[in-house]
Amino acid sequence: MNRILSVPHLLLVSLAIVLSACSGGAATTANPNAQTANAASYAGPAPGTADVQAFKVNLWQNINTANRCGNCHKAGGQAPMFARADDVNLAYNDALGVVSLAQPDQSRMVIKVAGGHNCWLSSPAACADILTTWIKAWAGGVAAGGTQIQLQAPTIKDVGSTKTFPANATVSDKPNASFEKTIWPLLLANCSRCHSANATTPQTPYFASTDVNEAYANAQAKINIDTPALSRLYVRLHDESHNCWAPGGGAVSCPNSSAIMLAAIQTFVDGIDVRAVDPALVLSKALTLYDGTIASGGSRYDTGLIAKWQFKEGSGTVADDTSGVDPALNLTLAGDTGWVGGWGVRFGPNGGAARGGAASRKLYDTIRGTGEYTVEVWAAPANVTQEDAYMASYSGGTAARNFTMSQRAYQYEMLARSSATDADGAPALLTRDADRDAQASLQHVVLTYDPVNGRRLYVNGNYTGDVDTQKGGTIGNWDDTFIFLLGNETSGNRKWQGTIRFAAVYNHALTQDQIQQNFTAGVGERYFLLFNVSALTGVSQAYVMFEVSRYDSYSYLFSKPTFISLDPAAKPGNIVIKGMRIGVNGAEAKVGQAYAPLDTTVTDANYTAGVGQRLSAVGTVIALEKGPDSDLFFLSFDQIGSSTHVRTEAAAPQPAVPDDEPESSQLGVRVFSEINASLAEITGVSMNDAGVRATYKLVEQQLPSVPTIESFVAAHQVGVAQLAIQYCDALVESGQVATFFPGLSFASPPATAFADTTLLINPLLAKGVGANIGTQPSDTDVRTELNRLLYGVPAAGGNPALPGLVNCNASDPTCVQTPARTKIITKAACATVLGSGAVLIK
Amino acid sequence: MKQGRFKHQARCAVAMAGAALMAIQGWAPALAGPREQAKRLHDRLAGVPPADAVLTQMENDIVAKNYDSAAQRAMANKNFYNVTLKNFVAPWTNRERTVFVPLNDYTATVIGMVRDDVDFSTVLSADLLYVGNAAGAPAYSATNNNHYQYLDDNNVDLKTALQPATQSGLLGLPVAATAGIMTTHAAAQAFFIAGTNRAMFRFTMMNHLCRDLEQLQDSSLPPDRIRQDVSRSPGGDSRVFLNNCITCHDGMDPLAQAFAYYNYDELSGQLAYTAGVVQAKYTINSDNFKFGYVTTDDHWDNYYRKGANQILGFDGALPGSGTGAKSMGQELAHSDGFAQCQVEKVFKAVCLREPGNKTDRDKVTAIKNTFKTSGYKMKQVFADAAVYCMGE
Repeated sequence: MNRILSVPHLLLVSLAIVLSACSGGAATTANPNAQTANAASYAGPAPGTADVQAFKVNLWQNINTANRCGNCHKAGGQAPMFARADDVNLAYNDALGVVSLAQPDQSRMVIKVAGGHNCWLSSPAACADILTTWIKAWAGGVAAGGTQIQLQAPTIKDVGSTKTFPANATVSDKPNASFEKTIWPLLLANCSRCHSANATTPQTPYFASTDVNEAYANAQAKINIDTPALSRLYVRLHDESHNCWAPGGGAVSCPNSSAIMLAAIQTFVDGIDVRAVDPALVLSKALTLYDGTIASGGSRYDTGLIAKWQFKEGSGTVADDTSGVDPALNLTLAGDTGWVGGWGVRFGPNGGAARGGAASRKLYDTIRGTGEYTVEVWAAPANVTQEDAYMASYSGGTAARNFTMSQRAYQYEMLARSSATDADGAPALLTRDADRDAQASLQHVVLTYDPVNGRRLYVNGNYTGDVDTQKGGTIGNWDDTFIFLLGNETSGNRKWQGTIRFAAVYNHALTQDQIQQNFTAGVGERYFLLFNVSALTGVSQAYVMFEVSRYDSYSYLFSKPTFISLDPAAKPGNIVIKGMRIGVNGAEAKVGQAYAPLDTTVTDANYTAGVGQRLSAVGTVIALEKGPDSDLFFLSFDQIGSSTHVRTEAAAPQPAVPDDEPESSQLGVRVFSEINASLAEITGVSMNDAGVRATYKLVEQQLPSVPTIESFVAAHQVGVAQLAIQYCDALVESGQVATFFPGLSFASPPATAFADTTLLINPLLAKGVGANIGTQPSDTDVRTELNRLLYGVPAAGGNPALPGLVNCNASDPTCVQTPARTKIITKAACATVLGSGAVLIK
Repeated sequence: MKQGRFKHQARCAVAMAGAALMAIQGWAPALAGPREQAKRLHDRLAGVPPADAVLTQMENDIVAKNYDSAAQRAMANKNFYNVTLKNFVAPWTNRERTVFVPLNDYTATVIGMVRDDVDFSTVLSADLLYVGNAAGAPAYSATNNNHYQYLDDNNVDLKTALQPATQSGLLGLPVAATAGIMTTHAAAQAFFIAGTNRAMFRFTMMNHLCRDLEQLQDSSLPPDRIRQDVSRSPGGDSRVFLNNCITCHDGMDPLAQAFAYYNYDELSGQLAYTAGVVQAKYTINSDNFKFGYVTTDDHWDNYYRKGANQILGFDGALPGSGTGAKSMGQELAHSDGFAQCQVEKVFKAVCLREPGNKTDRDKVTAIKNTFKTSGYKMKQVFADAAVYCMGE
């Protein structure tokens, strides 16, 4: 039983349409006919009404050509003859039977073509979209801004048991469940000539990659794990004769090739264990994405649209222009590009582009007349570091363009040629850096241009506020030879990385409201999934409804969870819902359970018939497993109504006992401030002494900053010596020196003052090294070194004698026997001890 | 002038001194007796060599097996506060984690808490701030660091100069909005500046639970509190979110919500607190994921109480949720992981290495247990760890 529900901003959708089989027409052609349709020269009766006239202008003259519907559905041809050229009024009457003006996308004509019936392009979805556009244009205001959706109760499915892809390509203990042992060898042998990154002309997906993990990741979407005969790897060979091979070296045989492929898939699937759902869980009923009620349509503002790309194709190398405005500006994907799930094209790091070719002139022809335009994209930049990255460009190289929308790190940049700019569209309009308008997430980015305001940029429906100081101008200087591209420049060196999921060009500047409307309409296909919970709640036709969409190639977006009954008379009463989790293919998803903390109650007071009661404001992404055709979703609850499941939280895994560290040194070195404080303590010189403070500031960051002795380097020692010298200088020049070195005469020349070296060495030993500390250098060793410093090294072992500071060589100009030199020698001896390991090591 | 003359005349002397230095460093360490143990104890705790008299007293303590007394004597040196503790804390107070930063209110408050044996489990929640009582120092200001810069520049003895005060009094915060070192000027300047306030959470976890976000990753937690600014499909690839982003944000965002009313006002240079009003930084980039969490208050929940991070040992006596940074700070600081982290940090500071084997780890556990059951006194942790590493 259906229930009409009021849901704002959603188009009325009927799922009750029963499609009749096509009674004629050729089979789907392998080669698309890209011929441009020409308006027929109509010589029949004039349109009888304004609506017939609208039909003629918007739909009929687009479809009555021989390369479209006019080849069969013509006068005397295949009924219904909605494309007949003899009388547009009769064509109109027939068209009314296959068109829904209230729901253009649900027209029988559209659904028929979407199913593969004589699409004139390579993508039936593109033809369906174009037909929808034409019918919408015919319908005018009738189809715009629908506000209702008709929810359809899904077929009851139990969660049941299911299979899921093994986590790894190689399952060592089960060869039959191992992609590496079953399917991969076939792919490698027969498909790698194209479907491998190493191929001469690589074709995505790379399911025949020499890297088995990459191959496995790409092949999963092409394998139907529940029904192997529906696997694309098989269907492509069996039904579409796509590059079959010659098994056994005989003739090329698609039946044999496909049979071998199917057998391999079957072996793989049979090897995978069935996974049973946990019987203790409290579960809703289950459904796949496509079991849901489609929530497409939104209410986009499309008036003035002259080119549109929705990227629904999902394969091939052409992205069709589905605006319905001839000539179609179909884009050819080149280089590092690939399709993404949920509609879109990815532009990779190696620089790909979607090029428009000669048909790009359509933009010139249609925009020149109005002098204003809009470029709209739904784009997800891969990063926020790329610069000079062209997202959409109508140009002829790096220095000449009509317009370009590009990314510069966190900024968007707009170049638009007019009488107010140069041929490159410069100076550019750049969004304010601090606003960080560009984000590495899906964004709705719109550039408008009009002669008054010039360029204006809108991100996610909002004007960025960046004013075009050039203002507008005329576009009489546009060049009609330029090419329209996405993801790069014609020169190939302005690559943009990311995903574009929608793009459109208009021949007028959209207003803020119109842009906001398109932003709100969103992008991609969305479904309402109704998880049956009648049995759990006792409420007639009760569901927990989610809005679900394919978020990207790897996940689904679940949002707007709502408790709802399709029975308008139903009252929920008082239903407690706690701990709701999303299940996929027989098990709760491991990641993304945003509703696990849910604790709410559905009450009569909060419940509105036909609308339901929203359970949570947040949405979540759930990883894709098998693909939207096969992933079977369900909900589990810790409590719903009186049904409960007591969840026992798993104990946290205890961390493993770490391995023992290798034995490390028990010694360390003092760090910068410790050295400074130590020298101050030893000498009694204040750290606030001007000379000390200045030197410390100079060498502070040259001194050791970590105490590990292994990290001590020569530069540290230089810094230590410098600071030690400074402290010793301050000490010797201060009044404290007599106290520090009692008995040492600084009024005497060195030979006299240091006649007894203990007067110098003993204080340094006591204060700098410490007494009777076995881990410090021995007094004897220190004395020996300091005596050598003072009196040199005698000749030994054939080496000549070296003079000391006291008995210095007379030829040395600094060797003057004055009291001043006594101080210098004292400072040197002091610094020798204070800058040594005796102080440094701790 | 004097210095320049000296440098010129002593060029030869310095060169020879350098040679002598290297020779002196080449001795082999002897086995440690009580005097040697005392020397190392003092070196590690105070950072400077002991005076002979102090060394002898400590030696006697060790001979008498009064190890704690020996350690306390070392910590009586002002350099335990001015040098060791300052170096210990300084890296926590800035994003670069460098030790080369001036003294600030964050560092001073921790030093004061250690000196006064203040319950260290209040370090993330107390209405406490230590200021210096030093002649000539400018008064404490909520808008600059001049007060502490003066103490630093003049090597003021922190052991005697620091005095406790309150953040509510000095910063003008409501008492309920004070959250220990997290609401000091220095922390606000470093971690509440710009961004989304997640930095305060991350650095608090790094500094006080010894875990960066990489060590806290857990994809099993509910993502319902992850804000709108986190793209669920970065660059169009939701695997990045499902395998990376979510693993940190699912636990971090519900805790960092505690800071929803805080900001660092770059114009005035002070911590801003807007009671009841969520800072705009919590709603930036809201179009990145419209179905993300919208912060409406400062209610926090500790999702780490489930999942892999249960091992942090949160206090069962606390509810695991609350409002504001103060209670969130209590939640973190009452965990076993907090106590473990403090002990491990001290161990590394005085032993100059990580706990490297079972004996070390058992000792850390023992010190931690004493720490938790004896009023969270950090000075005791320093003493216990330094004694353990003073040599045999």
